[in-house]
Order: sequence, then structure tokens, then C-alpha cells
Amino acid sequence: MAAAALVRFGLLLTLWIALAGAGWKGLAPGVAAAALSTWWSLRLLPPAPLRLHPIALAGLVLRFPWQALTAGVQVALLALDPRRQPEPRHVTWAPSLSPGRARDAFLAYASLLPGTLPAGDAPDGSVVIHAIAGAGSAAAGMSEEEARFARAFGLDD
Amino acid sequence: MTLLVDVFTVLAVAAGIVFFIAGTAGLIRFPDTSSRLHALTKADHLGLGLVVLGLLPRAESLGGVLRLLAIWGLVLVSSAAAGPMLARLARRGARGG
Repeated sequence: MAAAALVRFGLLLTLWIALAGAGWKGLAPGVAAAALSTWWSLRLLPPAPLRLHPIALAGLVLRFPWQALTAGVQVALLALDPRRQPEPRHVTWAPSLSPGRARDAFLAYASLLPGTLPAGDAPDGSVVIHAIAGAGSAAAGMSEEEARFARAFGLDD
Repeated sequence: MTLLVDVFTVLAVAAGIVFFIAGTAGLIRFPDTSSRLHALTKADHLGLGLVVLGLLPRAESLGGVLRLLAIWGLVLVSSAAAGPMLARLARRGARGG
């Protein structure tokens, strides 16, 4: 717990310094804000063992800009090209990750990917995905991304 | 070199503005709440990312670079957290419950 608290405090203080600058003047409120945020984050998200796979994680991170570009271009074309129309559909998708923080983290990540926006749980335990176009391939795409995500964070062992 | 940096900044920021305009057009044109969330998140994220990318070479220090990247990162994280919640609420609202 102490090690996790120290790491989180360090990361939050680094974020503060990145945003507010490294001067002594702003350091005292930064330390106070980082300490308070660390305490709150430990209450909301207690530390859990994480088995990162660096190569898979690097692949996921490096792939993200391309995904962001694809997602943005797809939506921009739908919004600006009068010949294209969005075909919004809700599709259900059966995740491999168990309910919990790992699945929640993946669904948050998936909301930034092209064409898909998780929209809550279905009564049968699957996840409802809002697809803005190409609903047919949305579920398969989600499964592929979930596998990449699980590999990067060691959730598939 | 300065001219190249200026051209890069102008092109990247202009492209970013185009994606912000696309996001706003989607907000107006798209037929349902969740589709509008796609517009507000995906197109605007890319727009902000391109604006940040264009401004990076103009940052006066490493702190400036980190500040720009932190702003983009915070926007991504907050919208990744809020987007699915809003989509879930929108779906519940559309079902009338």
C-alpha cells in the first residue's frame, strides 16, 4: 500500500508540475493537491497487482495515434459529407474480461476507438456497444482490441 | 528551419480546426445522443491532438511540451470516462427508463 501510495503521489505531483510549472511558489499547493488526490485515489481504486507486458503495451500505445486518426476521420466524413449518413445501431458484444475494473478500463479505452462507444450492460451480461457505422464488424473489432488490451496488461494469463 | 516549423504549425493547427468544425457539424447533424457523443469525442480529440502537435515545436521549454501533452491526455482520460456513462444514460433515456 505504501509503495503504491508513493508511486501515485509521485505521478500526481509530476502532473501538477507539468501543468503549473516547477517554481517553488506553486509547489506547496501542488504537494497538498497530490497528497489529497493520492488519498482519494487509494480509496476509490485500491492497489492491485499489475503484470505489464512491455512489448504488447508499447504496441498498444503506438497503435493509439493511428486509431485516433481513423476514428476522427471516420466521424468527420460522416459529419461533413452530405452523401454519407450515420447508421447508428446498438449491438451486443460478449466480453472475455470478467466484470470489474479491468473490463471497465477496457471499455473506457474502447470509447476512444473508431466507431464504437460502450453503452452499458445488457440484461444477459453482455455489453451494449453503440456503433455509428459498420455495426456488423463492431463486435469482432471489440474482441480483437480486447485481446490486445488483455495481452498488454497481463490479463489473459 | 523556422519557416518549416511555422508551416508545420499552421498546417497542423488548421487541420485541428477542421476536425473541431467536423465535431460541431456532427453534433448538429447526427440523429441520436450517442452518435453526437462519437462526434464530440472522436473528431474533437483528433482536432485537439493536431492543435497540440502543431504547438509542440513552438513550446519554449520542456515544461511547455509536458503541459501541452498533459492537456491532451487529461481530455482523453476524462472523455473516456464520461463517454460510456453518458451513452449508457442516453440508452436508458431512449428506452424510457
